[in-house]
Amino acid sequence: MLIKISDFLKADAIFMDIKATEKLDVIKELAEKMVAINMVTDRTAFMNALAKRENLESTGIGDGIAIPHARTNAVQNLVLAFARSPEGVDFSAIDGKPSHLIFLIASPEDKKSEYIMALAKLSRLLRKEPIRELLKSAASPNEILNIIKKHEE
Amino acid sequence: MKSFEKVLLVMTDETDQSVINTAVAICRKEKSRLYVLFIIDSRRINRLGRKGRQKIDDIYRQAEETGWQLLYLTEDEAVENGVWTSLHFEEGNVTNSVNRYVESYGIDVIMVRRKDDMRRVFTDAPVSVIGL
Repeated sequence: MLIKISDFLKADAIFMDIKATEKLDVIKELAEKMVAINMVTDRTAFMNALAKRENLESTGIGDGIAIPHARTNAVQNLVLAFARSPEGVDFSAIDGKPSHLIFLIASPEDKKSEYIMALAKLSRLLRKEPIRELLKSAASPNEILNIIKKHEE
Repeated sequence: MKSFEKVLLVMTDETDQSVINTAVAICRKEKSRLYVLFIIDSRRINRLGRKGRQKIDDIYRQAEETGWQLLYLTEDEAVENGVWTSLHFEEGNVTNSVNRYVESYGIDVIMVRRKDDMRRVFTDAPVSVIGL
């Protein structure tokens, strides 16, 4: 199965400058935006699934990146959202640095393979410093999408 | 009795689901924190590349993809079982990476697949190693 991040990330789920500065507030802000654009059907279940993960692990993978994620039937398909935080958010990252680029991934319970592949693909893509820098300086959601399209294999 | 508070599961692209399941099951039973480290063994990849069947870049790409998938598979299994996890991805020398993680995170026990090319981990690790 070939997964492309750009097939799942849409411009209306890209938020250039989020206001929240605490991890759970960021997830809450993203969840509310995702409910508003009908990506999430059950806000409470969605938040609970993400919060459960955050309690059992750090989704801050270092280098200013966080990928909060969960499998939950609060979504009907694999969904992705992106948020950029100019101030940075403490996601208890493994390198102790604040996260500026936040990708949220969720999938239904029964789509485990797709979900794992999307997480792997995104993590691999974001290990590359030039891509992180481009994402940090992008001016619009469409520019974010184009960067991902151009650089994912 | 040996403390199992912090466990380091060392994985390479040869690690399989049974190793993940066993490591998570032990951590669940012992209420341990599970640090999961996937290492791309540069020397092994260069060796494979020199044999010439695949380009080194392609082998790296494949190993990276496999590595992240194994990390997230482990994490998913751990979350299902209520086990705390921390995922780590490294590239370089296996023994050096393992020893650095043991020191940095105060690891008590290492778990590793017995069939992996991991003899040096067993002989050189500063803490006990469990072969799975």
